[in-house]
Amino acid sequence: MNTRKSDTLHIPLSRRQILAGATALSAAALFPVAAWADGSRLNVRAYLEPDDYDPLDASGFLEELLYGCIYRKLIQYVPGEEWAWQLDLAESIEQTSPTTIAFTLKQGQMWSDGFGEITAEDVKFSMDRHMVEENNSRIKPDLGTFTHVEVTGSHSGIIHMERPFAPIWTIALPYLAGTVICKAAVEAAGGKITTAVPPAVSGPYRVVEHRLGERWVLERNPDFSGEAADFERVDLIVVVDDSAAEIAKEAGDVDFTSVGAGSVARLRDNPPAGARMTVHPALFYHWVGLNVQNPKFADIRVRQAIMHAIDVPSIMQAAFFDVAEPSTGIIAPGLIGHRPQTLIAPQADFARARALLDEAGIDRLQINLDVLNNVIHTTTAQVMQAMIAQAGIDLQISVHESGSFWSLGVASDGERWRDLELTIKRFSMTPDPYYATAWFVSEQIGDWNWEQFSNAEFDRLHDEALSETDPARRDEMYRRMQDLMEESGGYRFLTHGVTANLFADSIVPATRPDGQPLVQFFRRA
Amino acid sequence: MLQYAFQRILLALAIVFVAISALYTIMITLPGDPTTVLLGPRATPEIRAEFRANMGLDDPVLMQIGNFWTRVLAGDLGTDFNRNRPVAEAVFNALPHTMALVFGAIFWSASLGILLGAFSADNRNSWLDRISGILSVGFIAAPSFVVALYSLLIFSVTLRWFPTIGAGEPGDLGSRLYHLVLPSFAIGLAWVGYVARIVRASMLETLGENYIRTARAFGLPRRVVIYNYALRVAILPAVQVLGVGIGGMLSSAVFAEIVFSRPGIGALIYDSVSGRNYPVVMGSMLVAIGFFVTCALIADLVNAALDPRHRVKS
Repeated sequence: MNTRKSDTLHIPLSRRQILAGATALSAAALFPVAAWADGSRLNVRAYLEPDDYDPLDASGFLEELLYGCIYRKLIQYVPGEEWAWQLDLAESIEQTSPTTIAFTLKQGQMWSDGFGEITAEDVKFSMDRHMVEENNSRIKPDLGTFTHVEVTGSHSGIIHMERPFAPIWTIALPYLAGTVICKAAVEAAGGKITTAVPPAVSGPYRVVEHRLGERWVLERNPDFSGEAADFERVDLIVVVDDSAAEIAKEAGDVDFTSVGAGSVARLRDNPPAGARMTVHPALFYHWVGLNVQNPKFADIRVRQAIMHAIDVPSIMQAAFFDVAEPSTGIIAPGLIGHRPQTLIAPQADFARARALLDEAGIDRLQINLDVLNNVIHTTTAQVMQAMIAQAGIDLQISVHESGSFWSLGVASDGERWRDLELTIKRFSMTPDPYYATAWFVSEQIGDWNWEQFSNAEFDRLHDEALSETDPARRDEMYRRMQDLMEESGGYRFLTHGVTANLFADSIVPATRPDGQPLVQFFRRA
Repeated sequence: MLQYAFQRILLALAIVFVAISALYTIMITLPGDPTTVLLGPRATPEIRAEFRANMGLDDPVLMQIGNFWTRVLAGDLGTDFNRNRPVAEAVFNALPHTMALVFGAIFWSASLGILLGAFSADNRNSWLDRISGILSVGFIAAPSFVVALYSLLIFSVTLRWFPTIGAGEPGDLGSRLYHLVLPSFAIGLAWVGYVARIVRASMLETLGENYIRTARAFGLPRRVVIYNYALRVAILPAVQVLGVGIGGMLSSAVFAEIVFSRPGIGALIYDSVSGRNYPVVMGSMLVAIGFFVTCALIADLVNAALDPRHRVKS
């Protein structure tokens, strides 16, 4: 009986059929997956999933990656090596007084899906809604002293500010807060974009599908009023892990990705076939911060000793794989306020550190260093631990996962912030120095100013520089502010890091000077 | 059998309740202010205050847990405040991907593991058995992420047989399965070793049973005796192990979903835990634990159905 059962399951295959099947399988196996790739399709890696389509909920560059493809602004960043902006929706835009900017829109710029022409009312709606308290815009601070847009004609208007706000040209208008959305479409959707795909777009691409947790599928927007996009389809693919993204690029599954600093030397010496790599100085800033209010560091000589005992070149070599340069402050090269050099040289001076400790009457100093559990910062901590011991300082490293780490210095999350000693942090940055210094004013203590650095001159300069429109004067003010930070003994600046991009040689990518992709300007080679 | 099933279902519900309540308590007592982590540096104090109020973070812990269960019983898993969408939408969008991954891993582990185990038992103490033993232990010892990375390097980068990322085109079963091969293999390989070892031991025990000797005495072919008679009984412990092993596979799914950039519960949990996105963490955990407990329950019931001794003992 069992034998019969076995017979019924038997699939009769002749030897010829088996051979034919095996041959077909072998042929299929030899045919590379990439051969099916369509040249009109572009796959770009996003390292996390952007939040959603509504600029009210935007929080950073990931949203900009998506918005740049589907929405337009009055002005946009120019791809290239230098920070500059170019006209986008605006035919003309100029600062007519310290607190007003007049703009005129190009004629005939259209919304998709039959929502008509883009008007000054759309610009007013898009910017003014960030100022409405109930809307809880996350990027309201980017607009600074902006108050409202006055519509002076169907295609013209005036941007009003309470007082001069220099970053409006560098942060507000060409970045997230400057994104123009369709008033009619958003109002019809209930005042907020919560739909599966945006109701109306204006950029070179439109959203076809959002596969949650996986990718955004965009296709060429037929209603785009500018020069048609080069790619029929663009996929923004969420790949969290740098190594996975690098492998995906090598396998041909993504066309453009950033890669970790650890891969730069290897890829530069031995790039994968059909790929190119570019390395850009990033805008981020990494630093070792010291809580100047902690009684343990009340003596300035102790703080200075610690700073002298941190050897930045060693950290660059071990943690940043020798591809990043030591920084001179929190403001990156190419931006107003960048300092040519630090007050304390990047190289450690252990003898000086030891002498300062002796002067302070300290034989052996024990310090706790809190770091985030990423490879770069834990390696930095280990290098510091090994080297700082030469000055008679024992470093205890505490590693935290991100949720725990980012609340260490926050007053609303307990009392830990008061007892902080040393931390290693990295902050992101926008291309205006105001964004860098904003976190270190006195009112940020208990929030983002974990060093608890409080300096009246710094606070005043930060406030004044915001409204200073003379670039030379502004430059001087921000340099002075970084001097004050360093003089406090609370900061050892490490680096701005690098952004390395690996991409197929079949495309011509467009990036900001810091290497962040501007996908809307990507072209086929 | 009915009474046994009823007892098991009650126990499963109790496990889910206790596990989720304990997890909720741990989650909200962890250091890390979700308003800081979720909203980022630009958020004003007013936005943070409103966010805390919306999330109910100012309520006492017990009240938060009570509110959570009240909502769950009403079919509401809460709202993902980071992306303004219902948690249920995110979770149930991710769940099929994780289920496919886990079932794919079970397919690999069961098919290869049972074959390897049966083959080993059939050739016990031969050099083939020894090689099979080494392979099985090697599979168990190899960390899944190493298997994943090497699979990618060999089958995707070098041979270009399989894609490295994604879950395939929606609505295209072929594409979905094609994208499932490597990630499920990476998770399932370790379980191939476990299953092979268990099946081998169980087979050797079964082959010594009287009814096997009787079957042989009747002159049935060796292949039929081993694969039709002995293996049927010998795979029972493997079914039990795979049922419980789903928990381990769910854990491995976290890294597989990240390395292979697939959507899924694991990736969702990873993302939401580091972002202190409590509603998503709890919604995902509820579904993941529910899935695990259901699979263990099914394995229990299948075992009881296949082997009456099991339910009598219980």
